[in-house]
Amino acid sequence: MPSEMITLQLGQCGNQIGFEFWKQLCIEHGISPEGILEEYASAGSDRKDVFFYQADDDHYIPRAVLLDLEPRVIHTIMNSPYAKLYNPENVYLSKHGGGAGNNWASGYAQGEKLNEEVFDIINREADGSDNLEGFVLCHSIAGGTGSGMGSYILEHLSDRFPKKLVQTYSVFPNLDEISDVVVQPYNSLLTLKRLTESADCVMVLDNTALNRIASDRLHIQNPSFAQINTLVSTIMSASTATLRYPSYMNNDLISLVAPLIPTPRLHFLMTGYTPLTADHELNTAPKIRKTTVLDVMQRLLQPKNMMVSLSPDRTNQHCYISILNIIQGEVDPSQVHKSLQRIRERKLAAFIPWGPASIQVALSRRSPYVHASHKVSGLLLANHTNISSLFDRCLQQFDKLRKREAFLEVFRKEPMFKESLEEFDESRGVVDDLVQEYQAAATPDYVHWNPESSQI
Amino acid sequence: MIHDALLILWDCSNSTKTKNENDITVYANEGDAVIFARINEISKSHHKIQRFIEATGFRARKSNADLKMCGLYSQALSEGFSEVVQSYKKTLMDVEALVLGNHNYTLSFVYSYVEKYRGLFNMLNKIISSIEQRRLIGCQILSLLHQYILNGNVRVHEAVVRIFSCTNKVFVNQLCTWLLYGELKDPYHEFFILHNQSAESSETFLSSPSTTNCERSLVSTLQDVTLECGYVLNPNMIPYYVPLSLAQEILFIGKTIILFGFDPKKMKKNSSFVASRTLLPLQKCGVDSRRFTIWEDKEAEFHEKLQKLKNPEVFEVCNLRGVIREIKECVTKHLWTVAVEEAQLIHELRLMKDFYLLGRGELFLELLRLTAHMLDRPTARTSTRDMNHAFQLAARAVFLSNSADIEKFSFELPYIKPNLSTNTSIEEDSSTVSDGWSSIILKYDFKWPLHLLFTPEVLARYNDMFRLLLRIKKTQHDLHALWKTYKQSTSFSMCQLHNKLMFLMDNLQHYMQADVLETNFSRLMDAVYRTNDFEKLKKAHATFLADILSQSFLTVTSSRDSDCSSDIADALNNPVFCNIMELLKLCHSFCSMNNSVADREAEDYYIRGYSDRFNKLVKQLMQLLVSLRDRPCGVYLARLLMRLDYNRWLSGEAQLTQSVTNMLRY
Repeated sequence: MPSEMITLQLGQCGNQIGFEFWKQLCIEHGISPEGILEEYASAGSDRKDVFFYQADDDHYIPRAVLLDLEPRVIHTIMNSPYAKLYNPENVYLSKHGGGAGNNWASGYAQGEKLNEEVFDIINREADGSDNLEGFVLCHSIAGGTGSGMGSYILEHLSDRFPKKLVQTYSVFPNLDEISDVVVQPYNSLLTLKRLTESADCVMVLDNTALNRIASDRLHIQNPSFAQINTLVSTIMSASTATLRYPSYMNNDLISLVAPLIPTPRLHFLMTGYTPLTADHELNTAPKIRKTTVLDVMQRLLQPKNMMVSLSPDRTNQHCYISILNIIQGEVDPSQVHKSLQRIRERKLAAFIPWGPASIQVALSRRSPYVHASHKVSGLLLANHTNISSLFDRCLQQFDKLRKREAFLEVFRKEPMFKESLEEFDESRGVVDDLVQEYQAAATPDYVHWNPESSQI
Repeated sequence: MIHDALLILWDCSNSTKTKNENDITVYANEGDAVIFARINEISKSHHKIQRFIEATGFRARKSNADLKMCGLYSQALSEGFSEVVQSYKKTLMDVEALVLGNHNYTLSFVYSYVEKYRGLFNMLNKIISSIEQRRLIGCQILSLLHQYILNGNVRVHEAVVRIFSCTNKVFVNQLCTWLLYGELKDPYHEFFILHNQSAESSETFLSSPSTTNCERSLVSTLQDVTLECGYVLNPNMIPYYVPLSLAQEILFIGKTIILFGFDPKKMKKNSSFVASRTLLPLQKCGVDSRRFTIWEDKEAEFHEKLQKLKNPEVFEVCNLRGVIREIKECVTKHLWTVAVEEAQLIHELRLMKDFYLLGRGELFLELLRLTAHMLDRPTARTSTRDMNHAFQLAARAVFLSNSADIEKFSFELPYIKPNLSTNTSIEEDSSTVSDGWSSIILKYDFKWPLHLLFTPEVLARYNDMFRLLLRIKKTQHDLHALWKTYKQSTSFSMCQLHNKLMFLMDNLQHYMQADVLETNFSRLMDAVYRTNDFEKLKKAHATFLADILSQSFLTVTSSRDSDCSSDIADALNNPVFCNIMELLKLCHSFCSMNNSVADREAEDYYIRGYSDRFNKLVKQLMQLLVSLRDRPCGVYLARLLMRLDYNRWLSGEAQLTQSVTNMLRY
């Protein structure tokens, strides 16, 4: 089975979005919560094997590894109708169940401690696939387990599987509201360093933007986690659509990722999705009438549909490094070319001045088992230089705390920070370089750009 | 003397007649001699007619071994003649009775009765002599008679019409059995359709360089489906009043009917059919059961309509055409039903797209993974088997193995014996030519009546597409495989070059698959759903194939190009295609460079070389756009370049003027 993907779900957030993702995949592939193929579903029309494998008794089992240091979310999953879906051997809960206390260092240390057991599971899962293409890691960068343990696993995944791709779905914290995790800026920064250095592709899921979209676009007053997670699972399922359905292009992850990421470190991707509808609005909301390819592609380029909150680009200096649109539904293929041309003529998207770039459009099938409220829907995956503003905000928040030397005791407790806080400065340096590289990528001089830290 | 005259007129005294001529004058009056001479003339021409009738009539055919003059048409003609002559004989009998009753009647009295036949006999003799001189047979006779129908002399006109209707009966009967049952009842090769038994279809599955030099003719070649069953038009035999197009329609109907008789489901396992896929071996078993389903209840109606044509009043070309059109419509509809409903044409077309046009990307990705190493090398004897084995494996990997469709496809890698010459350079040359990528053939075992659509020529063209697409896919795959490596490397220029090449391949692939294949395929599907006429469907398919070929730059689409009339494959003449192939080669050597380069310096050297080559080729591609602006293929090149030069970087790099960018607005 070609191009299999193994999903790793880490921590509270990671397991929640992972749970939603599998729910969505089950619905789209016609698999019941118990893992049995529904009667209406037929074999051969889709590629369940990329994310699922079939047990001896014909049950479909997700290639998923569930890891957490505290039992709450995993228990919820194991008490849901989907409990029987997962391979129980792939669910790993730390024995003491105390969690990481929202502390990156604690999560990292526990990851180190549990390293053998965790990688046993991952190795077993990897051995079970014919031609493993890579890993998908779901986590948040703010908490303890997802960020800390996630960082440890990221670093060691690329050591142990140097040829495999590592893609992460990383949830960035909501910066609009005051978080109950005071050390969140520390956690984020430390994780960002690993994402920059060890991951191949990071799908940025920004809670700030997701909340904004939920309230502005979907008219939900106080969006719940479940509602936000539905948004996330929509994006995750759409971005894997070309892998999961037979199509003429983009049949493996590398073909999705490689054209989007021309330079090694600029691998943070934004997403956008249109049209969006919440469940409660399906009947009442004014239908989005225009669903031509051009409309979908134009709407995807609007910042308000972007699932990453960027600071406004006042000087208009930022630009796209690359764009991939995945369009699902009934599309007249000849419209693709016309739409591309219109967008080019109207200069709706600014591109990098130092290399070739374009909008690639992949047409994909839709699940026949899901009723779609719209004829055409589109997902945007974009590499945009303005994503640096997100990292810049992380840096600022980090600096605020760091200047005050606040909450450092919790970190000092862990072996990694016992001696010194060098790790903080190092991470800050990496993220700062990243921000500068993104800013440089918007200029023609990027070809000659060198990170400051290496300009000795 | 009068009795002599009557005897002569009766054509009884054949041999003595000439001797007597001198003696006649002795008995006769002065004027009688002249009249007698005239009577003699009439009798002579009657004699000729009589001889013709005897020579060609029914009895004569039985006894006469000489086949030159016999045939159904001449037999009918002689019958027509004898019918006409009948009235002459009746007149003679009347005259005889009158003469016997009254001995005072003179020779001129007799002459006055037979004189009116002179013109008629002259005409008939003219017909006879032109038939004999020009050796006309079959439908040519019909044609000749039709020319004589318009005659000012009422008597002659009526007579010719009668004769014509006699021969026309034969024609209509032949037409009727041909049109309704596909049988040719023509023992003397008189009909304008000929069963050419020697025409063995040559099997050229390999891509043969065709001599078509413009798009129009490509469409027609692809559409030119030989219903290979050995029936052809005999242009000499087509009556002049039947236009060629009508004759072709008639031929088509009959052939189609014959074709229905060869439904393999109705035939016992006929091994030669499977092997050669030609329809020569004739078996009757299917015919009877088939023919009634074609016409359903319309058979009687058509039969009646055709029989009505026997009446010369009704027999007009426009009427004939009307009936033929009706029949043809019925036949093509039936053909459509058989093709679309029974053979599931639409499903098969999708299969063609999925396999020949790489619609199942994941399957071919897996196949490439398994076989790339094999296809890189020159083909070996076992290559075909290995390839098919890998194909089965790949199909199993993407869960396609249990579908019946996969078994319709198989690969062939023609094994060419390596050139055993002492010159090493030639050997090297031949090995690059015969590697798997350029020689691989995808074979397709389609359902029965679809060979009408998927002729060897069409499949060869599909294979051209297949090889190009497979090559692009492979190159793209190779470049993607290097991505992770270069992601960890520190050389920016290396990354950039890799990135550029990857960008090029990705966009080429997008252009091919989305702009060319998807767009044209959805157009084809629209056309297929809209029509229920097989002919239109065939045309739509031919147009589809021609379009994708020209839009993939596999053909030269300019009709004004004079130098491509030579026998070189079209693709070689298309500068865009050459350029794309060069770029593919560049990517290929870039991918293989990775293994050979050790130190940094050598790497830089290579990178510079490849970058220069890349820039040169891209610039060339842009310049081609200018020179191809007026041609159809320029439009498609503009489409491709629009994708490649989306952020105007390439044109900036190539330092071209703004005009090129503006030209991308197609």
